[in-house]
Amino acid sequence: MTSKSISVLRKIAGPFYVNRRLLGYYWERLQKNKLSIAGLGFILFLAIVGIFGPLFTQDPTKADLEVPNMPPPGFTRQESIYNIKTNDFTNRTIEGGLTHPLGTDSKGRDMLAMLVSGARISLFVGLLATGIAVFLGTFIGVLSAYLGGWVDNALMRFTDIMMTFPFFLLLVLIVFIFGSSLAIIVLVIGLTGWTGAARLIRSEALSLRTRDFITASKALGASDTRIMFNHLIPNVISLVIVMASLSIPGVIMAEAALSFIGLGDPTSTSWGTILNAGQHSLETAWWVAVEPGIMLFLTVLAFNFFGDGLRDAFDPKASI
Amino acid sequence: MNSEALLEVKNLKTWFFTRRGIVKAVNGVDFALRRGECLCLVGESGCGKSVTALSLLRLFDSPPGKIVEGEIIYQGIDLARCPIGHLRQIRGKDIAMVFQNAQSALNPIFTIGDQIIEQINTHLDLNREQALEKARMLLDKMRIPEVDRALTQYPHQMSGGMKQRAMIAMSLSCDPCILIADEPTTAVDVTIRAQIMNILQELKRNRDMSIIFITHDLSLVREIGDRAAVIYGGRIVEIAPVERILNKPAHPYTRGLISCLPDVSSESKRLPSIEGNTPNPMDMPSGCPFHPRCNRVMDVCRSVLPELMNILDVHAVACHLHPNLGK
Repeated sequence: MTSKSISVLRKIAGPFYVNRRLLGYYWERLQKNKLSIAGLGFILFLAIVGIFGPLFTQDPTKADLEVPNMPPPGFTRQESIYNIKTNDFTNRTIEGGLTHPLGTDSKGRDMLAMLVSGARISLFVGLLATGIAVFLGTFIGVLSAYLGGWVDNALMRFTDIMMTFPFFLLLVLIVFIFGSSLAIIVLVIGLTGWTGAARLIRSEALSLRTRDFITASKALGASDTRIMFNHLIPNVISLVIVMASLSIPGVIMAEAALSFIGLGDPTSTSWGTILNAGQHSLETAWWVAVEPGIMLFLTVLAFNFFGDGLRDAFDPKASI
Repeated sequence: MNSEALLEVKNLKTWFFTRRGIVKAVNGVDFALRRGECLCLVGESGCGKSVTALSLLRLFDSPPGKIVEGEIIYQGIDLARCPIGHLRQIRGKDIAMVFQNAQSALNPIFTIGDQIIEQINTHLDLNREQALEKARMLLDKMRIPEVDRALTQYPHQMSGGMKQRAMIAMSLSCDPCILIADEPTTAVDVTIRAQIMNILQELKRNRDMSIIFITHDLSLVREIGDRAAVIYGGRIVEIAPVERILNKPAHPYTRGLISCLPDVSSESKRLPSIEGNTPNPMDMPSGCPFHPRCNRVMDVCRSVLPELMNILDVHAVACHLHPNLGK
């Protein structure tokens, strides 16, 4: 990396990169909120599982019809098999075993492997789509606030239109037209999800814009891009971080919902896909639906707790 | 002091086109700034002195603000009309500005060092070490103790006076030849005010820097000014060397201002004041804007706007009282 791009990075990462002390200060404040630390812990756990898990688990797509709907260890399942010869039902009890620690689904696929693969996809979609959305939102918000006038008007009316547009319908439409792949899902969520961020950032940047230090740097010869990148964006970066962490759960849920209705990426196993498969066998194999459900629940909760904690830590007015 | 004009402002008019009407904040200001002199712009709140200063570098919000008429000539270029890219080269490098409130004029999330270095890099092509060295030197000249610590401090960790000095250091980073100081001492206490005034005086003396000093405080004018321009209703009503303006004011408004200076030796219990308020810039009185408050108002004042005319070589005044006016 050239020294120029390093210095740009320094400016945008702002105080967090430059000042270790400041980072320590926020970390201390964050730690006072135990729930947010628990959330962070869970997120880190999920990230490690998502990154390294697939190396240790079986292939999540490998069907094994020898062991369909096998319960997790410690649970049993009653199965009645119709015997043609005796014209009778034979009951048999299937017990969970350690070969499949979280059981299997109706095709005998290992639940653990599928959940691990789902964690990877959820985090991938969640982080990447949020990243795109927040990047766009910050850029549009700051541009709108700083330039003002007709640029502001045009950008904000565009935002309004994007906001009122039923995004899920758009997603379904695009998936229908172009077929489903993770990349398309990420792009669509990212390219439509920036509106809230743009508005929030704009409002913050609007109040910053009238501050003296903006006029002062203008008076000393700074260009518009310099003011936006060196002064406005670093001043809203804490807002951006909080917003990102709070909007990740929505994105994860959106991806799960898409997969649940069968519009997810067919080549990958996400939590939504498993949920979808599990809903048909709720009576015989409850764990197939419940396990991804719990994972979604915990993940969304973890991000929300973490985001809340971050918001409090960054808010100078909050007494924690 | 030589008489070469470094910056010449001719009939400058900056108006703000707001929804409720046109605010004629600056309405025909003329002056020339000479090399090495300190010109004070004096006036009450709302008289247009700050907008005049902001207009010189086109720093007011636009829209709604606009320079509707006039020229600001610097090195043969009209700053009122030149392309913004060119103006940016001049801002900070040739003409720098110091703001009233250093607390809000410094970016709260960067260290003083980072901000000064950024400023240096805007106009000069130095690497980080050279820039740091220059920043150190600048702060040292501002008599900031423990320069290395100050460089790593954030604005909120510094005292008001330190911040103001850091701000001045920042504006001096590219050796400008004109410094516009917009009430630089209003937000600081008396001892710091003295320090800042000393620094400005040194700049004038040692670097031959021209200073446009904006204030409402006549005692500061006496301390630092070479010439003073009294602004009322967006126009200069009187301009003369400081000595003369303080001792022989010609305009009734200037006289009023000077009589308002508290005098510890006087017997009177009440401080004198000028009756009335500054005129509403959206609805200026006809004729001389000062006539509703003037204690020597004449008929002509109500209808005819007096022009700024020389009563001496160095002393100009815009008032019908002076017999050689209106001829």
